[in-house]
Amino acid sequence: MKGFFGDFGGMFVPETLVPALEQLEREFNMLKDDPEFKKDLARYSTTYIGRPSPVYYASRMSEEYGVEIYLKREDLNHTGSHKINNTIAQALLTRYMGKKRIIAETGAGQHGVATATVAALFGLDCTVYMGAVDAARQKPNVDRMKLLGAKLELVHDGSKTLKDATNAAMRDWVKNVEDTHYIIGSVIGPHPFPEMVAHFQSVIGREARASFKEMGFLPDAVVACVGGGSNAIGIFKGFLDTSCELYGIEAGGLSDNEGDHAMAIGKGRAGILHGCVTYLVQTADGQVADVHSIAAGLDYPGIGPEHSYLHGTGRVTYDKVRDEDAVFAFRELARREGIVPAVESSHAIAYVLKNKDKFKGRKVLINLSGRGDKDSERDI
Amino acid sequence: MRGIYIVGNYPDRESFVKCFDAVISAGYEFVEIGVPFSEPVADGPVIASAVQEALGSGVKAGDVLAGLKTLSKGKAKLYVMTYANIIYNYGIKKFSDDFKDVLSGLIIPDVPNMLHSYFYDQGFEIPLIPFVTPESREEDIKKAAVMQGDFIYFIGIRGITGGSVDLSSPEISERIQQIKAFTDKKIVMGFGIKDKTDADKALKVADGFVVGTAAVKLQKNSAEYSEFVKSLL
Repeated sequence: MKGFFGDFGGMFVPETLVPALEQLEREFNMLKDDPEFKKDLARYSTTYIGRPSPVYYASRMSEEYGVEIYLKREDLNHTGSHKINNTIAQALLTRYMGKKRIIAETGAGQHGVATATVAALFGLDCTVYMGAVDAARQKPNVDRMKLLGAKLELVHDGSKTLKDATNAAMRDWVKNVEDTHYIIGSVIGPHPFPEMVAHFQSVIGREARASFKEMGFLPDAVVACVGGGSNAIGIFKGFLDTSCELYGIEAGGLSDNEGDHAMAIGKGRAGILHGCVTYLVQTADGQVADVHSIAAGLDYPGIGPEHSYLHGTGRVTYDKVRDEDAVFAFRELARREGIVPAVESSHAIAYVLKNKDKFKGRKVLINLSGRGDKDSERDI
Repeated sequence: MRGIYIVGNYPDRESFVKCFDAVISAGYEFVEIGVPFSEPVADGPVIASAVQEALGSGVKAGDVLAGLKTLSKGKAKLYVMTYANIIYNYGIKKFSDDFKDVLSGLIIPDVPNMLHSYFYDQGFEIPLIPFVTPESREEDIKKAAVMQGDFIYFIGIRGITGGSVDLSSPEISERIQQIKAFTDKKIVMGFGIKDKTDADKALKVADGFVVGTAAVKLQKNSAEYSEFVKSLL
């Protein structure tokens, strides 16, 4: 069926949204190969985002852990994470569709900041939904969104985190679909979002592959953190057709107990949420369970449907990292390389450090999906 | 076709059954039982709060469903309104096997008409009720007109439950006439009907109505609830 990756995906939304999603699908399919659109996107990518982002060889970390560690530096992008790749492309789409208003949901705030930024860039009206708990733990990003002129709607429902912000954004979209585009920030949601966001994020993998081509070899493994999974899909797309091992690292949180983690694949099962069939952390009764991660951007009960599919095929290995190990990696990269990573990306770094014996002597590419300025003010 | 939406087992099983019985004895043609789901994205604040409160106080979707078989529905038809994950989690085929003799249909707000086949292809035999909205295009209406389900659920507003609807709007009556041109199915208006005046206006343009938010507001007080549902007829 259309919009499915094997058993996962689909377009499970209120009927009201179907015409808007079909319009989006049409416009995306038309524009993604349109020379003018591609030229526009390429221009903004280089002159505004600062692409291409480099692959950096982390020599001190490599020496310490006996693993050749390479970092794809998405943290160097304007606004500080990979999120801007997708938001700038979707904002361009919004303009091409003739809509004047964009909405978004955000967990860590990186997607909210990226959306607020492109709204300012293109003169679009912008509302960002954010859980009240997330807003409290990501204050620098809250301040940035306001500075950029976005209207911030704090969500006090449910667990007051990303899933509740997503519910609120969906409700807004149902009410205002005629003039509003919803910029979903990850490879989740109804078709065509998972495919479209992956397409816009695949620039990460293409660039990384090109960097390795210049070096004359490929990495043995590629590691990325996974919440919804956009940075991971973005980098995996560059290596799916190679023999590189691919690892997606979920938020192991505090423990395997319900409410202590956000492992959609590791501890969840298939279900339907926010537009698609995918792995979900849920109760026996089919209610979406509370989840936890020290990283607000990973604190989501689901995962992109393409990841669920890749898990099923065995092409990608999904594993977990606990909060404390992510915090260790956060500090370790800061002190050994002078790079403060986002606590989300620190999960990917931690996985390599924790498994240094498995990766010993091998070339490992980690997607450093964002920088940790937003986290460095926190007590972690 | 006049109907009332009730949040299943809210605030507790006993109160819910009292409200259900009040609807049946008032003479409604159908009852729509909401099976609570933690992420009610198509519901407004009143119903969403009731659902969250129910789940918070230990109401289980499985218990609401199991209780459907024990309700004395008289001549009324019974429909379930819930979200896709509740059915998926229960097991699509198993749900159909367990409830096809009890339910006249299923209303799933996060399953659009085009994905009804996702259920039917897996052996689902309970009719899924199609939707028509202000956004529906003519081709959507034509498809809905021939789908399974003994009525078309017409959503009169852009938005979520609990919004207000202008029942005198020419857009609504024109849209309903447009649907009628393609189908003999009943057209039931949902979303935004809160009192007798609204209900009467709805019946002038459509074949029925369903009241949700305004009734759920009173669900904790079965006496007031009973008076309210009687007042709408």
